[in-house]
Amino acid sequence: MSDAVVISFTRVEAVHLRGLVGQFVDLLSDADAASDPAVSRLTPSAYPDDAASADQFRAATRADLLRRRSEEAATVLADLASAGELDPADDHAFDEALTQMEISLEPRQVAAWLRTLNAVRLVLAERLGIDDEDDHPADDPRFGVYEWLGYRLELLIGATEDV
Amino acid sequence: MGVMATFASPEVDEHLDLSAAGALDPHWQTVVWNDPVNLMSYVVRVFREYFGFSREEATRLMMAVHHDGHAVVAEGMREQMELHAQAMHDYGLWATVRRAPGA
Repeated sequence: MSDAVVISFTRVEAVHLRGLVGQFVDLLSDADAASDPAVSRLTPSAYPDDAASADQFRAATRADLLRRRSEEAATVLADLASAGELDPADDHAFDEALTQMEISLEPRQVAAWLRTLNAVRLVLAERLGIDDEDDHPADDPRFGVYEWLGYRLELLIGATEDV
Repeated sequence: MGVMATFASPEVDEHLDLSAAGALDPHWQTVVWNDPVNLMSYVVRVFREYFGFSREEATRLMMAVHHDGHAVVAEGMREQMELHAQAMHDYGLWATVRRAPGA
């Protein structure tokens, strides 16, 4: 228990993150996932120069890998459940959105969070066409989300290394 | 598989020994490749957590990936290298398996 890490979010951040991770789960369970380049990015070839070995490796590992991605994403969604919903029609919507919330993570949850945040970021990078470290499609609103995910991931890494 | 072969009587089949030799060939590598998305801090974290490397060693390998485009993170038998590659894929890193060049 002493290894637990506490992370802070504004509620609006937590609600957005839950939305993103929810979309990620939908993507993984989509019937077309096999042909989606973002899903392929999560299951890269282990043998780029050997098609037969690559196929064998993929057949042996791909389904398990995607199942673990879904399970870990579900852990993150459960941890974010307490963020509730934000109602923009509410008179206090702005204050509500900026309310701070804290989430306590045990080591198993930390591992799921790290991998899930990183995987969602990889999917966004694929959608944004980020092929190079100098690619900054700043006019695409999703790029802001991509950068924010990187920031949250850095924060989580920093928080766990202080333990 | 390799262990089973040592219990086989010599006349059973010569190719058992050959396949055991292949499985025990220690000259395979897990290679991690650079990509523009994974954060340096994340890659260091993965190397420390999964391989148990010191911060210094994990950082050295991360920098090798970053500057040279790739780094060998493990060497050994093929099956073990595939397990490492699978673990790296679990973390979202791009890892491949290859026979050590020149081995």
